[in-house]
Amino acid sequence: MNAFSMYAARESGLHSLHPLTKILMTLLLVAAGLALPGNWTGYFIVVFIIFPLAFWGRVFLNLLSTTWKVSLPFAISVILIQSFFWGEGTPIFEIGVLSPKWEGAMFAAVSMGKIILVMSGFLLFSMTTRPDTLMITLKQAGVPSSIAYIIVTTLQIVPSFQRKALTILDAQRSRGLETEGNLYVRARAFIPIILPLVLGSLMEVEERAIAIESRGFNSGKKETSLIEIPDTPLQKVIRRVILFGIFAFIVFGVLWRL
Amino acid sequence: MFENIKKEFSTRTLVLIPIAIAINIAIGELVVRLKLPVYLDSIGTVLVGAIAGPWAGALTGGLANLIWGLFNPFAAPFFYVAAAIGLMAGLAGKRGAFQNETPRWVSVVVGAVFVFSLTLFILAFINASTDETGYTSYPSMGQLFSQYIVAFIAAILIGAAIGYFLLQKGGYAGMWGLITGVIAAIISAPTAAYVFGGVTGAGTDLLVAAFRASGGGILASVLAQGSVSDPFDKMLSFMVVWLIVRSLPARFTSR
Amino acid sequence: MAFVILKDLAYQYPSSTGLVLENISLQIQEGEFVSIIGPNGAGKSTLCYALAGFVPHFFKGEISGEVEVDGRKSSESTLDEWALNVGLAFQNPFNQISGAKYTVFEEIAFGLENIGVPRDEMKKRVEDAMSLTGISDLADRSPYSLSGGQQQRVALTSILVMRPRLLVLDEPTSQMDPVGTREVFGVVRKMAEEGMTVVMVEHKVEWIANFADRVIALKDGQILIEGKPNEVLTSDLLIENGFGISRYTSAAREARKRGLWKKEKLPVTLDEAVEGFKS
Ligand SMILES: Nc1ncnc2c1ncn2[C@@H]1O[C@H](COP(=O)(O)OP(=O)(O)OP(=O)(O)O)[C@@H](O)[C@H]1O
Ligand SMILES: [Mg+2]
Repeated sequence: MNAFSMYAARESGLHSLHPLTKILMTLLLVAAGLALPGNWTGYFIVVFIIFPLAFWGRVFLNLLSTTWKVSLPFAISVILIQSFFWGEGTPIFEIGVLSPKWEGAMFAAVSMGKIILVMSGFLLFSMTTRPDTLMITLKQAGVPSSIAYIIVTTLQIVPSFQRKALTILDAQRSRGLETEGNLYVRARAFIPIILPLVLGSLMEVEERAIAIESRGFNSGKKETSLIEIPDTPLQKVIRRVILFGIFAFIVFGVLWRL
Repeated sequence: MFENIKKEFSTRTLVLIPIAIAINIAIGELVVRLKLPVYLDSIGTVLVGAIAGPWAGALTGGLANLIWGLFNPFAAPFFYVAAAIGLMAGLAGKRGAFQNETPRWVSVVVGAVFVFSLTLFILAFINASTDETGYTSYPSMGQLFSQYIVAFIAAILIGAAIGYFLLQKGGYAGMWGLITGVIAAIISAPTAAYVFGGVTGAGTDLLVAAFRASGGGILASVLAQGSVSDPFDKMLSFMVVWLIVRSLPARFTSR
Repeated sequence: MAFVILKDLAYQYPSSTGLVLENISLQIQEGEFVSIIGPNGAGKSTLCYALAGFVPHFFKGEISGEVEVDGRKSSESTLDEWALNVGLAFQNPFNQISGAKYTVFEEIAFGLENIGVPRDEMKKRVEDAMSLTGISDLADRSPYSLSGGQQQRVALTSILVMRPRLLVLDEPTSQMDPVGTREVFGVVRKMAEEGMTVVMVEHKVEWIANFADRVIALKDGQILIEGKPNEVLTSDLLIENGFGISRYTSAAREARKRGLWKKEKLPVTLDEAVEGFKS
């Protein structure tokens, strides 16, 4: 599958869960991590719940490396900024005016925990859920089908646009367009590359619209779906429990902070 | 009202939106590849606003960030900012900002006024003083003018030059872009400050840090950073869309 | 009464300066297979859009005259209702991929999902349509991974599966090899035999001569000549107006000048040519 998505096709128990079960599960973990007291709860949930789930879904390494890649720049930024600009505190070292503080670094580490939790939770969900089954689920849950169409189509066409942009870049280069050099040179290269890309794709809009209209896109009839999303009575029960859990965590989180 | 919104979401628009989001992503990557010091990752969103209208623009922006959030969850909380950008582009489009040419002197005025206000804002920020009780007082305009008169004159000249050479005949579109950028900076600041502690992992973090070092609170520093980088970025995006719309064949715009 | 009736149809796009279609009057019987030929810009695609309701409902612009299918006027119908009866497939296959589906099978089912066909019936109809057009082996491929010709077949199948009463095809074989083209003409012929009315824009005149019931030659938005394939495709009018004609026709014309072609009728296909030279 050459689509623009995080989905990793595997045979696993996690993959075969109903998308709604998975998204509620993700929300439950996030709610727990944000509501429960304790500085390290986020990390705890990531290591002891999300990682095992990722093993079950056979995407552990995938999840680890993606979470790492996405959060690294953020982590570096947070740690540097919080430690160097922390007011009063215990200095880690002092060189002239530079004196990062332990308290700032700790604060950064604590807030990173929450962010890594949210991130890895949603990444795990994207990796184990086919975008189209997610959309069918959302449609059944009342999301307008036009929104679902937009999301799935976007995921499908992005790779072809990335390729198109590179093709045009190469083509313009071979016609002598300079794309290296000082800022002025590079900025001037921008327009000749994007104009063909954008104009070309706008020309397609009309035909694409005609094509789907010919296939009853606007028929106004109640849609059916080819793909059946397997669900079990057990999952239905579990979803109710999870929903209650999310609610409980939110209430707890609010009360506890008051 | 409701009928108008429905009309905006024709099948054409529904087909256009995924293409626009793909354009956002492809151009965003191209900018990185060309090492340009801007984002320009909302050109598709602005384009939908310009062609299809404010609600379609808003939906495009919002969905773009939510979809991007599947890959990088940092983007998702800012979906409402992207939606506002699309909405503003739509309003600009309704007022002909992308179709019309403006005389160059208008562009000069737009550029000058903008860089002047930006300078005023930043100088006021740098010169603010916080007393022991935590009350922040800002210097008066008169004080600033007498102290930094050279800086203000330079700002006006630079702004005028930007208007003349960069905005050229797209002054109106550029102005809408600047306004949109200011709004984006203001409404994104709370999320950036309170959800992410003022850090986004991008190069602009340094700017935030610099403002904080000069004594600003976290919200104010994020806001100051945003007002420096967002308006310029959105001005360029609106200008690019202005160029695109003007190169479209008549069969596209005569609707 | 004729199944398709065009009465004095004239049309102009919002941005075009003159009429793109003019004075088009035409009747097509149910189950007839009509082919349209014409040079670039003649208005063939526009005529297809008019039959499929996109002119004027989608493109707006100024229209006069009537388009009637099965006793209903397009001007009094909505595009969505119209699309249930009239199916359109066109030249560029890439733009006909919905983008919302991951496999060819799902892609072909897209239209049936939209009109609410129950799942079991949907599967059956998709399978039948795919075996009809000979693409059953592509079922699990991504539509984006196919060749142009294969994508064109998917586009055709995606419309056939909707079982329109009138099928409008605008250059559906432009990216196909001769084998593929032959198969598509065969499928279309078969559908016509089963009662589907077909209008197909094509350049490949030899195939038209073999399969179509009638040919309409369009030029500058007007009908230049229409009639039985053999009569139209060999008429002098076509050559005078710069249409592409079959190489067998041109060969036989040359031959006739030198007294080598004796028959009154000129050939369009190889078989006719061989037949004629033999006698
Ligand atoms: N959407 C449109 N808006 C304005 N003018 C159009 C539009 N589509 C086509 N035209 C013009 O209408 C005329 C007829 O075009 P049409 O596409 O119907 O011709 P065609 O016979 O299909 O040609 P081709 O062989 O190139 O497919 C042309 O002059 C074309 O430029
Ligand atoms: Mg055509």
